[in-house]
Amino acid sequence: MNRTGAPTAPRPVSWGRLLGAELRWVLRRPRTWLMLVLLTAVPVLMAIGIVLSDRPRRSLLAEVTGNGLTLPVVALSILLTLLLPLVVAVAAADAIAGESQHGTLRGLLLAPVGRVRLVAMKSVGVLVVAALAVGLVTVAGLAAGWLMIGPPAVLGADGALLTMSGTTLSPSGALYRIVLVAAWTLVQLAAVGAVALAVSAWTEHPLVVLSSVLGGLILFGVLTSIPALEPLHPWLITTGWGAAADVLRDPVPAGELVRSTLVAAGYLAVGGAVLMVRMVRRDA
Amino acid sequence: MTSGSRVRRGGIAAALAAALALALTVGFVTARASAAPDLPPVPPEELVASVLEAEPAALAGTVAVDNRLGLPAIPGVPAEGFTDGTSTARVWSDGEGRGRLALPRPDGERTYVRDGTVTWAYDSADRTATRIPAREHDRSGPAEGDPQAAAREIVGKLRDTSTVDVDGTTEVAGRPAYTLVLAPQPGERTVLREVRAAVDAETRTPLELTVLGAGPEPVLRIGFDDVTFGPQDPALFTFTPPPGVTVEDKKFEDKGLKDKGNADKGTGPDAAAPGRGHDPDRGGADALRTVGDGWDAVVVGTVPQGRGPQATGPQATGPQATDPQTTDPETSDQRGADRPDLSALGTPVSGPWGTGREITTNAGSALVTDDGRFAAGAVGTDVLGAALQQ
Repeated sequence: MNRTGAPTAPRPVSWGRLLGAELRWVLRRPRTWLMLVLLTAVPVLMAIGIVLSDRPRRSLLAEVTGNGLTLPVVALSILLTLLLPLVVAVAAADAIAGESQHGTLRGLLLAPVGRVRLVAMKSVGVLVVAALAVGLVTVAGLAAGWLMIGPPAVLGADGALLTMSGTTLSPSGALYRIVLVAAWTLVQLAAVGAVALAVSAWTEHPLVVLSSVLGGLILFGVLTSIPALEPLHPWLITTGWGAAADVLRDPVPAGELVRSTLVAAGYLAVGGAVLMVRMVRRDA
Repeated sequence: MTSGSRVRRGGIAAALAAALALALTVGFVTARASAAPDLPPVPPEELVASVLEAEPAALAGTVAVDNRLGLPAIPGVPAEGFTDGTSTARVWSDGEGRGRLALPRPDGERTYVRDGTVTWAYDSADRTATRIPAREHDRSGPAEGDPQAAAREIVGKLRDTSTVDVDGTTEVAGRPAYTLVLAPQPGERTVLREVRAAVDAETRTPLELTVLGAGPEPVLRIGFDDVTFGPQDPALFTFTPPPGVTVEDKKFEDKGLKDKGNADKGTGPDAAAPGRGHDPDRGGADALRTVGDGWDAVVVGTVPQGRGPQATGPQATGPQATDPQTTDPETSDQRGADRPDLSALGTPVSGPWGTGREITTNAGSALVTDDGRFAAGAVGTDVLGAALQQ
């Protein structure tokens, strides 16, 4: 390639090639697909359950009865508590700790690829899995909600969604709320992913990543239930996760959605910084 | 990669983390610190007068209620918004009598819309909309007449039993505010320490009410967490019941609600107002009278229908323990049929006044005797016992 023939440093690999390789690697794993298919099935199962049963009380699921377009919001809100973080944690565990365990990380670390690029590539891989999971749940929820439950039939063509405040939303208004909650969920998952990748960079056992992410979430749940620790609660990422239901209120209370997004940004920054420091300093 | 660039990148990441930690700390500290703003001093009479004179403001905001009253949970009554805890509400007002109130729950919402002629209550849990007609005698009191004179009268009356002061300034929801402080005179035998009200310096809208008892933490705080003044979207103040929603009409002869409203007020220092607690509509059986005045005013009465708590078990009730919010039309219609069981509340006591049960909270206490009398007030049970004997 070098026309002058003089020895030079190896040419950096292009971003596109790197990302393509990583995505092929991530998406070719059967477990990724299996998890995504199972996640997609959840909103469909919820729709079947709601069609077959009476309206539940004291549950967000009650909103879905006869009001199908709320299904993607409710499904995302329920899956965010454990299953969506689990999918992200599996992807993050495979990304660094898994490769380290198989010895394939060494090749990547020795390759003529900057460490920052390597981290970016791994992060994009995890983010794509998170986006796929959120997108599939949303689309499956929309489809199942629309086809199996349908919008409130009595509302006519103008109304597609009955909010918890007793107002009706047009189809475009409903779609806007659904996209809003999907984007918000993705930000929360990105924060979980950043922390999971940071853990993943410190260990060569994928199980450690899984157990620390899930254990962390369970621990946060326990801490939330202790009233004496109230000053700590705003700093826990799980505290803000109830805000998903806020998009079903009218007007949308932005406060908690914004606050939880900022908290997630904090986790993202800390996780990203730890990940970067570890990967840059790491010996091959 | 050279070791130089490796160190540099590590340094950048470390600097990023340090900057983030600093930003978080600064944000935390500035959120906590609320310096007292500089405002021209104002005497209490003028402050009260300006509150009475103030035009109702158009606003939107979030109100938080921190409840540490220590009210007992009543079996069979929903604990929501009543037992200790923090709850928030979103409020909108157009300043002309129309308003909207939303009480969010994690799994739903209760919405009240007042559109000028009727009030709608919508509950997402059972998807019902309730139409509540407006009360005719809603607008009364100091709104008519000279606010300055009314304020002088109110403050003068309060001064008999309390010290009334403007205790500097504070900041509520980012707005500078005056703090009006009511504290009992030394002779008052109350369990309350003081009542503080924060009044917005610009619009003279009350922004926060704090009730302090014996402990350092307020027993009750109702105040804006955030508020913006200004015109609101008129669409917020209309409500059309969505198709498919059950619409109910609420009949407006809720005597039970009135009883409870009065009893509730009896626990506050404003029970001193003469005539309070006497309702001409009410039969002799559950007539209330006030013993004492000021902070140690005690409401004394008979449990409705003259039945004692132990004699009738689940039917007995004492108005002091039920919250106005928890009263719904069904329970007041079938009086006595579905009453919550109060006989398990409190602890048994006896005294020169007889035997009964005492219920103590952080803001007062109540005595229900076995022969069906009760006394309640923002005082200790010794004062209640003395009042029962009068």
